Amino acid sequence: MDTLQYLGQGFGVALSPNNLITALAGTTIGTIVGLLPGLGPINGVALLIPVAFALGLPPETALILLAAVYLGCEYGGRISSILLNIPGEASAVMTTLDGYPLARQGKGGIALSISAWSSFIGGMIATVGVVLFAPLLAGWAVSFGPAEYFMLMVFAIVCLAGMAGDKPVKTAVAVLIGLMLSCVGIDANSGVYRFTFGTLGLSDGIQFVVLVLGLFSISEILMLLERTHHGQTAVKASGRMLFNLKEGTSVFATNIRSGLLGFIFGILPGAGATLASAVAYMSEKRIAGASGRFGEGDLRGLAAPETANSASACGSMVPMLTLGIPGSGTTAVMLGALTLYNITPGPLLFQNQPEIVWGLIASLFVANVILIIMNIPMINLFTRILSVPNWTLVPAIAIITSIGVYAVHATTFDLFLMIAIGVFGYILRKLDFPLSALLLGFILGGMMESNLRRALSISDGNLGILWSSPITLGLWVVVAFMVALPFWRAYRARRAVPLTDA
Amino acid sequence: MLYHRLFAACLLLACVGLGLTAWGYHAPYSYEPVGPRAYPLMLLILLGAGALLLVFKPGLETGDEPEPRIVPTMLRKTLICLALLLALAALFERVGFIVTATLFGLGMARLFGGRWLPSAILAVVLGIGLYFLFDRILDVPLPMGVLAVLEN
Repeated sequence: MDTLQYLGQGFGVALSPNNLITALAGTTIGTIVGLLPGLGPINGVALLIPVAFALGLPPETALILLAAVYLGCEYGGRISSILLNIPGEASAVMTTLDGYPLARQGKGGIALSISAWSSFIGGMIATVGVVLFAPLLAGWAVSFGPAEYFMLMVFAIVCLAGMAGDKPVKTAVAVLIGLMLSCVGIDANSGVYRFTFGTLGLSDGIQFVVLVLGLFSISEILMLLERTHHGQTAVKASGRMLFNLKEGTSVFATNIRSGLLGFIFGILPGAGATLASAVAYMSEKRIAGASGRFGEGDLRGLAAPETANSASACGSMVPMLTLGIPGSGTTAVMLGALTLYNITPGPLLFQNQPEIVWGLIASLFVANVILIIMNIPMINLFTRILSVPNWTLVPAIAIITSIGVYAVHATTFDLFLMIAIGVFGYILRKLDFPLSALLLGFILGGMMESNLRRALSISDGNLGILWSSPITLGLWVVVAFMVALPFWRAYRARRAVPLTDA
Repeated sequence: MLYHRLFAACLLLACVGLGLTAWGYHAPYSYEPVGPRAYPLMLLILLGAGALLLVFKPGLETGDEPEPRIVPTMLRKTLICLALLLALAALFERVGFIVTATLFGLGMARLFGGRWLPSAILAVVLGIGLYFLFDRILDVPLPMGVLAVLEN
């Protein structure tokens, strides 16, 4: 009953005229950013943080803006995947497999509308999941001590390295680089300057906005240089613009299954939308069996990744809000934005600032509704935006990025630092190191160290505190499993090769 | 696998250098058993181990896929882009936002394939438009630099 009451208050916050306009603006900007090839939700959310600050938005409104941009990007990403065969981001790759063939068959309109509908269903299923599970998890997490928190962060990191990718070593290296970067600056416990090399600009540590914009904006500009295009030639969104009842019902079961799957993957720290969409696609392909025409334009093959994508985006809010651990790269950026507002995400947030948490949750419902209403009639407008050439887009992004970084401290040192981080990020991308893992490490770094040191202070330096409670022990077991998983996979792959050879 | 190995070797060297730096971190007085150096040293050991693994087995996760070649024209473009970004950072305060952003916008638009006239128009619109949007409407103070005389 309490939950419904709080949710009602949340709707009061989300439906206030200011927040409604913010959500509308956020979803529009998000859809546009999402559909532009190369730009994803992390870029969109990161670019808007300084704008949210500059506008002097209260924290709940700023969060609503960022969440709306996030959801908008997830919706927008499908447009370039379907019409251009260019996934705007990794999680939209699976959408291209059936979306583009559908567009080429002259069913672009149907593909766009059914994918928007699938995103909507996914978002709604996951938001209901957030309402049901977030308070439960928050209530449970209140009893966590520093040792439990430390282990939870180890779990989040191992989860990312072991499960999310096929590159556990590179992911681990990227996370460790992020953790190291979080050590730069004055050590809060002892006042010692660490890795500042006598530079005043680093004494405050590396600013979150500088890191995010360097990693994702500057490196993206350098990547875009390689694939410069003068506007894309999109397949026209021809034919019927709206799916019919038969087509809708044919994907309904897929929507429900993929929505639940996406939500679960969203909750897992670090797993994210990319994995959710891939698993949803593969499982639907398996369920369809011989009846499916996956890869040639099957509506279920389009609905599954889109539903899972959207569900995962909403689901990733659960660990962010309840535990202070981001479920995806984008929620890592949002978490950073919260800390800029001096808000500490975690279980106590539900008790201390319910208007922020419930306002955000209610805004997920609102943003989803806005997006479905906006996406179907405005599809032609969005399609036209696809032809914006890079020579107009990139200078604007670069200048806005610089303003965002300069606004933090009004010093050009941060601009140079951002460029250096951008070049480093570019090299990492070229060598296939996941940048979102680095960001997760950076976000968790400070919390991880302070919890470890606090736990060891309580135990007077006895490491046994890290496995002294049932929760920490349980987390150790899961961590061990996650570490073993890639080795087991590699072992199986090695065994499978001689068998196939034979 | 040359680039992978080179990167991993640089990372390893950085770990050694940073480790030596971190070794010297001592708190003059401390109320906790863990000082300021234990955590970064622990991270550096793990990071160094990862880098070492990649030095010896660079193809561990990429297989034998050939690395992308460095194309001279691409390298030139990348260096120009970096030079433009560095110039933006260096001139941002000294010359002022409007002039710097306009020149930078022109350079970037040309680099990304824009024709002279449309690029110049875009650059002026970006320079002046973004100044008014951020400085005047959104209250983000941006330096006027050489154009400060116009304010009086």
